[in-house]
Amino acid sequence: MRFALCAVRSLVVLALSGVLSTPLNANPYLPANDADVLATLPAGAHHEELAARRLARGRLDVAIPLAQFYIGQARASGDLRFLGYAEAVLAPWVAGNTPVPAALVLQATLQQSRHEFAAALATLDRSLGAKSDDPQAWLTRATVLRVLGRYAEAQAACTQFMRWADVGVGLICRQSIEGMAGHLESAYAALKELSTQGMMAAELAWRESELGEMAVRLGRDADAERWFREGLDVDPHDFYVRAALADLLLRQHRDAEILPLLRGQESIEPLLLRLAIAQRHLHDPNFARSRGILQAAFEAEAERGEAVHRREQARFLLDVQDRPEEALAAALTNWTVQREPDDALILVNAARRIGDVQRAAPALEFVRARGLQDARLAAAPEAPS
Amino acid sequence: MNAMEKSWAASMLVGAMLLGSAIPAQAHVASNSFLTLRIDGARIDGALELAVRDAEIAVGLDGNQDGVVTWGEVRAAQAELAAYLGRHLELAATNGGCALSFGALRINDRVDGNYLWQPFTADCPASIQRLSITYRLLDEEDPSHRGLLTLTAQGVAQTAVLGGAHAVQVFDLESPSRFKAFAEYFHAGVWHIWSGIDHLLFLLSLLLPAVLIRRNHHWAAVPEAAPAFLNILKVVTAFTLAHSITLSLAAFDIVRLPSRITESIIAASIVVAAVNNVFPVVTEARWRIAFAFGLLHGFGFAAVLSEMGLPQGARLLSLLAFNLGVEAGQLAVVTAIMPLAYALRATHLYRRGLMPWGSTAIAGVALVWLVQRAMG
Repeated sequence: MRFALCAVRSLVVLALSGVLSTPLNANPYLPANDADVLATLPAGAHHEELAARRLARGRLDVAIPLAQFYIGQARASGDLRFLGYAEAVLAPWVAGNTPVPAALVLQATLQQSRHEFAAALATLDRSLGAKSDDPQAWLTRATVLRVLGRYAEAQAACTQFMRWADVGVGLICRQSIEGMAGHLESAYAALKELSTQGMMAAELAWRESELGEMAVRLGRDADAERWFREGLDVDPHDFYVRAALADLLLRQHRDAEILPLLRGQESIEPLLLRLAIAQRHLHDPNFARSRGILQAAFEAEAERGEAVHRREQARFLLDVQDRPEEALAAALTNWTVQREPDDALILVNAARRIGDVQRAAPALEFVRARGLQDARLAAAPEAPS
Repeated sequence: MNAMEKSWAASMLVGAMLLGSAIPAQAHVASNSFLTLRIDGARIDGALELAVRDAEIAVGLDGNQDGVVTWGEVRAAQAELAAYLGRHLELAATNGGCALSFGALRINDRVDGNYLWQPFTADCPASIQRLSITYRLLDEEDPSHRGLLTLTAQGVAQTAVLGGAHAVQVFDLESPSRFKAFAEYFHAGVWHIWSGIDHLLFLLSLLLPAVLIRRNHHWAAVPEAAPAFLNILKVVTAFTLAHSITLSLAAFDIVRLPSRITESIIAASIVVAAVNNVFPVVTEARWRIAFAFGLLHGFGFAAVLSEMGLPQGARLLSLLAFNLGVEAGQLAVVTAIMPLAYALRATHLYRRGLMPWGSTAIAGVALVWLVQRAMG
């Protein structure tokens, strides 16, 4: 009986902690004062801007920069609504028999960001069919194909891109794919030697993030950290680099350094995910809240019938929820959609945690066939905590 | 590269960086509203929750345009919002549209920000059998906006995603889907107890001695049916109660245990129960073992349920169906085996053969499982 009592007691404790940690939607309430602030609106989120949007329906020279502005806002703030606004602005210019190539490329950007890769490629085909010498379309195509792990085709798109682009930018495109396709060491050296003279901030940041990723895959974490930090100096809003740096710190068990790195970035989900993992390791009191927000976000996505963030979800299940079987299932589904090194990594890590690496067979087979080199895939499995 | 080319390359590269998986596809929750409809005859009680951000885009709340939306500004825009909703949300029964009337706005605080909570009622021409919903909120401004619907009629909930390409949707309110769902989860429960042999072996180990009594370090047959029946009832009830508790806690995500731990302890529970038959420690109140370990078995059932998922809006019903299925499957096995055990209880085969050697075999199998599961 003592055991039973004990079990009941510990369950009650567990249940209470579970209840307390679950953020519940409060009941609707009436704010006390008229002056209570309900929302702060970012630029581009005002009703008054409808005038510009209406104008954009008939004026391409308004529509393109406006769509670019919204996409930029989406990138800076992590707010998906801006992608919807951009889509609305582009809609009249991508429909019909004579779509505007530049609008199609932006449309493809939106589709790619929603992980609708097949649709993005189809849109790019339409764009290139109308205008085959558009370097932006070729670069976008290269990027999508690279995410899909179709390196030969991505390289061909880079070659097309290089016909019209600046040599330096073309080289980043080419070497970043070479680095995936079995030539990591030489690609890293080539990018390192690439002259940065005259490069603009965006080009510099791109080069540094690629160098950082290559260094990670080479197992040179100290170099990688330097590249990522330089990249962040150039563009502090590049949350992709920030996430890569956070992952590096997590691998090195430098959890305490994650908190200042990600402070104030909680509204960007991939960063919140890294923050939650660090908070979990540190037994930080804010962990439950971070986990609750992430959980709600994944649930909202599932309710919409979408599951575009399977990689993050798999990572969430593995490193936040500690449910390796579910993480593996999510990682396997994710692998059918996209095949970046990080996608292989989450699959392999989930299989390792279960204790059966062979269950990551699709990724392991891909890595062998493509000659993808990644020190993280070879490293010893991380102990669950 | 001249200046013009540079600026062209710069804008191009911004695009490239966005594409380089840098775009926050995984950021923020997308634009969702939450529409709740409760149908009662010809009348609908509803509430729409719309993010303050989305309401700003739709009607413009920020009266003084200072980039901050206050409660006073929302109150001032209340009529305009109601008018907008009236134009963009239509409810109709088979024989005509329903008249919407809006109540007083409130605020709901969600993880991704504040939402306006707009209650309303809809009066339809006649009792609603089929409901048609036209949802066009933000369709011009943000084509990715969706309305997440929960529709309840006669205690049956259904969910749907409104908006986008599916602006008009029709819901059949007398669909037999709840019985289908019930049957599906009931069947899953039965199937799980029958195929998941570890639960049965645990129960069997506790029930084998139920028709016996421990006397002078030997097993003897119970003299009559009543105590045997009572023993069985206690064990089965304790096990049922315990695993129902934890199954419910886990199904509603209140408590979670890593599956490796659950599975290992389930294997250990079989070892304990079986070894207890060979070297008895607990002889009188085996229901305590049934209860204590039953709590862990509940987590095992929950793992199956979490693979299936519980349908939104009908979670309780599905959980109940699954649990009842488990109990029914368990009861079927008990009623099949126990009369036989009772009939054989006095035989040498049962007391000296099945009891010790059957239990030893069960313990052996479970021990292998335990090692496998604990080693992962």
